[in-house]
Amino acid sequence: MKPNDAGLDGGPRRFESPVEDAAKPDLKDPRVVLSLLEADQVVAAKQRTRFGRRKLSAGVRLLLWGLRIYVVVMLVLVLISVLRAIHPVH
Amino acid sequence: MDSVKDEPPAPPYRPAHPTTDAAAASPLAPELAGLLTHEDVDRAQDRWRVTRARWKERRSKTFGGLSVLWLLVGPGVLVFLGENDAPSMLSYSATGARFGIGFFIPFVVLTFLMGLIVQEMTVRLGSVTHRGHAELIFDRFGRFWGFFSMGDLVLGNFLTLVTEFIGIRAGLGFFGVRPVIAVGIGVAVVFAAITTGRYWTWERITLGLAVFNGLFVPAAILSHPNWSSVGHALLTWTPLPKGNGYEILVLVLADIGATVTPWMLFFQQSAVVDKGMQPRDILAGRFDTLLGALLASVFAIAAILATAPLFHHGIDASQFQAAQFAQAIEPWIGHTGAALFALGIFEAGIVAAIAISTSSAYAFGEVLQTGHSLNRPLREAWPFYLILLGSACAAGGLVLIPGAPLEFVVLTVNVIAVLAMPPALAFLLLLVNDRDVMGEHVNGFWENAAGITVAVLLLCAGLGFGLATVFPKLLGP
Repeated sequence: MKPNDAGLDGGPRRFESPVEDAAKPDLKDPRVVLSLLEADQVVAAKQRTRFGRRKLSAGVRLLLWGLRIYVVVMLVLVLISVLRAIHPVH
Repeated sequence: MDSVKDEPPAPPYRPAHPTTDAAAASPLAPELAGLLTHEDVDRAQDRWRVTRARWKERRSKTFGGLSVLWLLVGPGVLVFLGENDAPSMLSYSATGARFGIGFFIPFVVLTFLMGLIVQEMTVRLGSVTHRGHAELIFDRFGRFWGFFSMGDLVLGNFLTLVTEFIGIRAGLGFFGVRPVIAVGIGVAVVFAAITTGRYWTWERITLGLAVFNGLFVPAAILSHPNWSSVGHALLTWTPLPKGNGYEILVLVLADIGATVTPWMLFFQQSAVVDKGMQPRDILAGRFDTLLGALLASVFAIAAILATAPLFHHGIDASQFQAAQFAQAIEPWIGHTGAALFALGIFEAGIVAAIAISTSSAYAFGEVLQTGHSLNRPLREAWPFYLILLGSACAAGGLVLIPGAPLEFVVLTVNVIAVLAMPPALAFLLLLVNDRDVMGEHVNGFWENAAGITVAVLLLCAGLGFGLATVFPKLLGP
């Protein structure tokens, strides 16, 4: 059986849930929906919150730029190798 | 340097924090109650099933856990079986045909281990933040880096999608189906899967299709492989491949690109979010990912074994395309085996076309901040579905154009995936080490060590390819 201190999800009980003993939840009831989702899982809540920009250190910026240059150079090399494969030099 | 002037104005948004509090306990609950969407209700229904299964699990300790796993399995299996796609199966087939049973058998297992390490991080990111990968990159790194990341994704996804339709065409071509009908079937299946308007149904349909990736197993058995050679190869990584060093390197890269690609990161994280997974589901998500990696590695090895007779009989497979492998191995595995192989290529193309077009649609929806959930009806999230179906139609259409540079696409797609992976991994590692985003679920030492090792290996593989391209004689004749 569910322990006394357990909530709907098996975690600690945090509030009285309207679906606590329901055999089948009434999902037309917003309280039921909100009791099943986490606070930042509701679409409207996500639209109202942002983690926001993180401050990029010089090391991180260098890493990102380095990898960006790597991708561009490699794409050029891929193009060269494919052209060689399609039109081999005899 | 890394910012642009059209960044969004100082946010009217509240700062987000990782939380496991129920929405009903949030101070915003009264406001949110009036703003619930169809997507929220469907997701709550999925959560109810998991909650109920957990109650039953506690009452019946024997099989209760299985029903919880059954409900939570999905994104991990789909991402790995989706990545066992047409070009990947072609890479494995080419590997078996050119090098037989040897080094590449354990190497493929290693690539799936790399994939597992990387994909596990997306499970945690999605479960904790409830946000997709593209959304988090734009949010934390800004538009400048976000658009670079999206550029890699869009290029890779579209090229890969084209190869899926080449696989669909080739697989059905074995049975005499005309290309236009084969491509039409592919687009119709993608469309049918999204008309459900429900993530759960979409996931189960796609999982049902993905199971047929296992068709390579009976094809491999029909090739009567020498199982002691397979065991020996797995344990000793021998015999080593011999021949043109550059071609071996390209196959190594193609086999890595068949397992670790940027679209997988974006897809699995968004699918985890759409499924409604929460931090308490992370363990099940890890199991899902492990199961996907195991199944996919077995099926990949099966493709190598199925085409290994070509190597043993000295058949030159260097110019073979997907369906030609099925025709070429027919003398050794029979018509049934060859038909299973061709059906496997068709299935690989179909499942990947569904997964990759969905990955593109999720990413665009997250960046454009429009509805991006398979729980939304067509009329509510039409841009999301338009991108999903439009990308599939465009890729399918390209395959039908006479003289289109399809050879170029097939040759490059997996290699491009490997080359685009290090920057994608850098963003992933930065995000999973960001305590503001992940809270207590940030990467530990071993997770970082494994993730950085994978990134360095991919970087070295790419640099090796670059050196071999610039100095073609570096790897011998």
